[in-house]
Amino acid sequence: MENTFNVAKDGNVLNIVLGEELNTSNAPALMDELNKYKNQGLEKVVFDATKLKYIASSGIRTIIFAKQKLGGNPEIDFVNCAKDIYSVFEMTGIQEYINFIEK
Amino acid sequence: MKKLHFQPIKDKADEIIRAVISTEEVSKCEKELFALRLVCDELIVNVVSYAYPENEDGYLDVEIEKTSQEITLRFKDGGKPFNPLERKMPDINAPLEERQIGGLGIFLTIKQMDSVNYEYTNGENVLTVKKTISSN
Repeated sequence: MENTFNVAKDGNVLNIVLGEELNTSNAPALMDELNKYKNQGLEKVVFDATKLKYIASSGIRTIIFAKQKLGGNPEIDFVNCAKDIYSVFEMTGIQEYINFIEK
Repeated sequence: MKKLHFQPIKDKADEIIRAVISTEEVSKCEKELFALRLVCDELIVNVVSYAYPENEDGYLDVEIEKTSQEITLRFKDGGKPFNPLERKMPDINAPLEERQIGGLGIFLTIKQMDSVNYEYTNGENVLTVKKTISSN
């Protein structure tokens, strides 16, 4: 199963292309990767969730981490969020702090 | 009732989760599969990560019962007594900048299921979750 991710910085924007899953087996690795971009003046973090079918609480923690710990309180975009995943965001109330974008 | 026994469980969370969600009882709950997967993920990772801090040979038993209306999953481990329902729930109204990062897993479990019960009996943590299922 394809569950990798790709992280790339473009100016003040951090682009994260997610795989099919963001769960306990890969979220810690993404968190480690995000840690490398701390305090680099990021204004926006974009999660491309086009392929994402499943997220666990460890994945949600990664999004909270991006907002809280990268510095500068960056905006969070979530591109092509599946309905099931949006429902999980709604349960936790974090959807209010995410810009959902359909492409 | 189906019974699955996993031992040892150290570093095997992924394997155990996949074994449970691929049982016929769970995999055929198409509409509820995402919720059941999420709950299995949260509860199994908790047991594997924390139940047996000093025992490499700990076990986890998962019992699955399904009727036409409801699916029940029961997770039993012989690790240290731990009632996850006593964990402080995250404040979902707090701004994202101020959120505590922990406690989300059991919170999501409670939100996804119709009932979640914990008891410590015969030296085991027993966590039982139930969810109403649609006919599929």
